[in-house]
Amino acid sequence: MIAVIDYGMGNLASVLKAIRSLRMEAVTTNDPKEIRESSLIILPGVGSFEQGMKNLKGLGLIELLTEEVIYNKKPFLGICLGMQLIMERGSEPIECKGLGWIKGKVEFINNSRLPVPHLGWNKTYYPGDENKEDTVSNNFYFIHSFHVIPEEEVMCTHVNYEFTMVASLQKENIFATQFHPEKSQKAGLSLLKTYLEPHA
Amino acid sequence: MLKVRLIPVMTFNGISLVKTKQFANPRTVGNPIQVARVFNSRNVDELIFIDIMATEQGRKINLPLVKKIIDECFMPVTIGGGIRTFEDINDLLRIGADKVLIKSMALKDPEFIIKAVEYFGSQCISISVDAILVEGEYWIHHENQEQILLETFINEMNQCNVGEFVVNAVHNDGMMKGYDTKLYNKVTQLTSKPIVALGGAGDPAHFVSLAQTNYNGALAASSIYHFTQYTPNEVKLNLNKAKIPVRI
Repeated sequence: MIAVIDYGMGNLASVLKAIRSLRMEAVTTNDPKEIRESSLIILPGVGSFEQGMKNLKGLGLIELLTEEVIYNKKPFLGICLGMQLIMERGSEPIECKGLGWIKGKVEFINNSRLPVPHLGWNKTYYPGDENKEDTVSNNFYFIHSFHVIPEEEVMCTHVNYEFTMVASLQKENIFATQFHPEKSQKAGLSLLKTYLEPHA
Repeated sequence: MLKVRLIPVMTFNGISLVKTKQFANPRTVGNPIQVARVFNSRNVDELIFIDIMATEQGRKINLPLVKKIIDECFMPVTIGGGIRTFEDINDLLRIGADKVLIKSMALKDPEFIIKAVEYFGSQCISISVDAILVEGEYWIHHENQEQILLETFINEMNQCNVGEFVVNAVHNDGMMKGYDTKLYNKVTQLTSKPIVALGGAGDPAHFVSLAQTNYNGALAASSIYHFTQYTPNEVKLNLNKAKIPVRI
């Protein structure tokens, strides 16, 4: 069973719908027992970093999630805010501590001449592969005003918005996306299937 | 590169999908769930669904029906119509809406919008801007009246830090003769927020000519997908040919 963490931040219904359309089982939960018994943890989320951490703390989930993901090495998927929260520190709306599973920070998209939020479909690519062709299968739906800056070696894909941002990152049992796979039609469903299926 | 979003709009009267001309003379155009399913299968970038009679008839949007529509969609969905309270917004977000589209309350009570943005986050609060050209000035058209200057309204909503503007040209609604490019270029100068242009598209060339101006927001349309042979994908192929970045 996949546990989709319910901590009052954003669109759980879409994540659940996407997983179920792939014929896998998932529950939305903040129950420690259910989270411990799950095969994989998804941390979705839309909203501010500080509020997200407050809500996790209020539900007593900071220690529990860290224990499951960092010490027990349970497979983890972070989506959007759920990706940002695993960094050491955030800045929305003020400087604050994150879960700290990946070294690095989350900053406002301010070195761009283009509108913020970065909203819409954009191409993701591996470093050095920026010129590859734009297709339906490498375009994902983004909506965010902050972006993560890892300060350690992690595998990642990039996205270009006048400058290069991290689109997804992976380290050991952690995989996280800045974009919304559950909102990215076939490309997103295919990615979810690839990552979730072995653990569902 | 960020793609130009192509967004079909479904307008609903509480009974079936309808398409109006200049906000009048509705024509029935089908079943909302079937139409949503078709749009999802055609890989559209987003979908907007509006119950255009909910506010006027003082009723809530039909949540079970909206849920069925959202369940057909694996792309972002914006829902509008009859939103008056936080509970209304919460009900829609809970069944999987990504954004809610608000008009009446934005005109009546900007304080409500400020609080909604604080509570739900600006990314999910879209504002419906029904603009009409009267003697050379753009006004906001609401309840069959010109209520406030477009510029004043956009400025006010900028202050509220809303997430997006869906700008409908009332004079072009359903006319299928092309977008009011002046209107969208004007709104582009008034805000740094994402903009969705709606009203007047009847041919792929109309999308191309708007996208070739300084306007780089989303391209929404309704009539063209109901009354012509053109699909969203054909529109995208035309945009692509004109070197406008689209997802195909």
